[in-house]
Amino acid sequence: MNTVPLALYAAALVAYAWHFAQRNALVGRTATTLLIFAAFAHTFVIGMQTMEVGHVPIAGTTSAISTFVWLLALAYLYIEMTTDERAMGVFITPLLVALQTIPALRPSVEAQSDVLRGPLFGIHVSSLLFAYASFALACVIGITYVLLFKEIKAKHLGFFYARLPSLQVLDRMNQVAIVIGWIFLTIGIIVGVVWTAQARGGYDAGDPRIQAMHLQDPKILAAFVCWIVYSFELFAARRIGWGGRRAAYLSALGFLIVLLNFVPISYFLTKSHNF
Amino acid sequence: MRLLILGISHQTAPVELRERVDFQARGVADALRALAARGSTREAAVVSTCNRAELVVACDDAAETRADLTRFFGDFNHVSPAEVTPHLYELVDLDAARHLFRVAAGLDSLVVGEPQILGQVKDAHALATETQTVGPVLNRLFHASFAVGKRVRTETALGSGAVSISFAAVSLARKIFGDLDGRNVVVIGAGEMGKLTARHMKAQGVQHVTIVSRTMAHAARTAEAIGGASAAPWDDMDAVMSASDIVITATGAASPILTKAHVEAIMRPRRNRPLFVIDIAMPRDVEAAAGEIEQVFLYNIDDLQATVRENLARRASEVARAEAIVRDEVDKFGAWLRSRGAIPTVVALRQRFEDIRRAELERLEFKLSALPPDARARVDEITHLIVEKLLLTPTEQLKALGDTDASRNKSRPPR
Repeated sequence: MNTVPLALYAAALVAYAWHFAQRNALVGRTATTLLIFAAFAHTFVIGMQTMEVGHVPIAGTTSAISTFVWLLALAYLYIEMTTDERAMGVFITPLLVALQTIPALRPSVEAQSDVLRGPLFGIHVSSLLFAYASFALACVIGITYVLLFKEIKAKHLGFFYARLPSLQVLDRMNQVAIVIGWIFLTIGIIVGVVWTAQARGGYDAGDPRIQAMHLQDPKILAAFVCWIVYSFELFAARRIGWGGRRAAYLSALGFLIVLLNFVPISYFLTKSHNF
Repeated sequence: MRLLILGISHQTAPVELRERVDFQARGVADALRALAARGSTREAAVVSTCNRAELVVACDDAAETRADLTRFFGDFNHVSPAEVTPHLYELVDLDAARHLFRVAAGLDSLVVGEPQILGQVKDAHALATETQTVGPVLNRLFHASFAVGKRVRTETALGSGAVSISFAAVSLARKIFGDLDGRNVVVIGAGEMGKLTARHMKAQGVQHVTIVSRTMAHAARTAEAIGGASAAPWDDMDAVMSASDIVITATGAASPILTKAHVEAIMRPRRNRPLFVIDIAMPRDVEAAAGEIEQVFLYNIDDLQATVRENLARRASEVARAEAIVRDEVDKFGAWLRSRGAIPTVVALRQRFEDIRRAELERLEFKLSALPPDARARVDEITHLIVEKLLLTPTEQLKALGDTDASRNKSRPPR
């Protein structure tokens, strides 16, 4: 069922790339329309799954990826509509297509483990997914910042100069995305810790996964490293004037860890988060 | 109805003549009224800018009107015909349409792709509408030219990229800072070049302009000349620069006044707030190495000139796409003009058939009068239908005839 949104995301990707190269207004509107349809189709898929299993499909790794893609698409559409700026789409849609391929290829019936009970679990996962979507945007904005920065510095005003918004705007958008992401990351981690403490005192305390929930677990460690990277970025931006290119590189590094954590670590390495 | 354009432009006439043939200065409305009074035209408009003066008219007899317009060109501007005639160009029908479309698209401009011309063409039409000298043909022609201008602007990059030094500087500033309002500009040096650039920045909506010069009185004078700017003594330069976003250096100093170390010192308290340094002095005022500092964007006059050259080259590469749009719209306009040309023939044919029908009905009146009223109405209806059916084929063939004319025109080599 996840293949329909995947196909639409791929179509949007082609349209965004075409628009970026040719700057044809009609193609640009087509790209946005395709992405809106993709997000609608995806909403429908997630809605169906929610009705099927009785909760939003975020408990399994694969369904969490699908939900993440959906959130990222919505977040991007929101930014595009508020800033009236389409240039970023060509950088976001490849990420959507790549990640959505996983749920499309591994159709799994979402079955919530008995261990994952209580409202805190839902808050934990959804705030982290939201944080990761923000970080994805920050990363893309950071990359475009560096591309534009290099063109202006090299005094060769070409491709990106004609297509991207100003450095200042990109820098500010990056900062906003990082702040929002950081807040949700912090909430997600704290809620996760509280939930673990409750679970340890509860009925499922003997579950090996709950016993593996400590800082040595790769998934938890990577999330904590992420938190340190983004906290440093925020601190550096405010205290030592690390804006611009340095902030952009840090956002790219942070999101690289997020991606590693989200896909390979979740599937192959973690002992605490394999639901 | 024929279309005719008669005019001079920067491509055919020297500036001395263009200055004298200036409808704008003498009043375009007066020119239109004078032209209408001569009676040689059906519809008329005047496109007048500093680079061109053109009469756009619709008339019945192109040769006769051409001769009269040539006389009018001289008479109205008080220039002898012998002086104007060698520089005049004349374009007829679709060539005239093509010319106006190219003008509106900015393809015929001195700086290809400049955006003002479309507004000037619109003004020309608005004024002619006000003076009531335009009719259906010129209305259609001008509106088609606006469409060409708009399509070229949105579908090609013909008008993109700054093509003058000062606009290149402003465009860069916008790419670095986004909005320019709220930005502070400092101009170091009170020369003419610095003053010009400062005035340009001010017009772009920057918050404040400060002039710094070695002679305070000189700085104050320049600030006053710009209007709304302030002056600061040379010793305050660092403080003023720390509070600014854009620095323009334009002194006559023989050696750099800003070294890399100096700029680094200014950047430190700014916490990497970007600084755009435009060095328009010759010899340069700012050490080139200052451009290596992370958030310093240093452009000197050669760099700006290079971006202007790149933009001009990019515009030149877009010309072919713009010309294709012009061709496309000329074809559409030509089709409209031809269909208009067929109208009188079709109307005449219909009139003739209708006359025959009525004559026949009258001739048979004595027989028809015996019929009841509803049968008479039926006869009227049937004869009308017969005429309609008979006319169907000739009307279609007339249209087809217009199309073969069109293909014959198209197969001619382009001008």
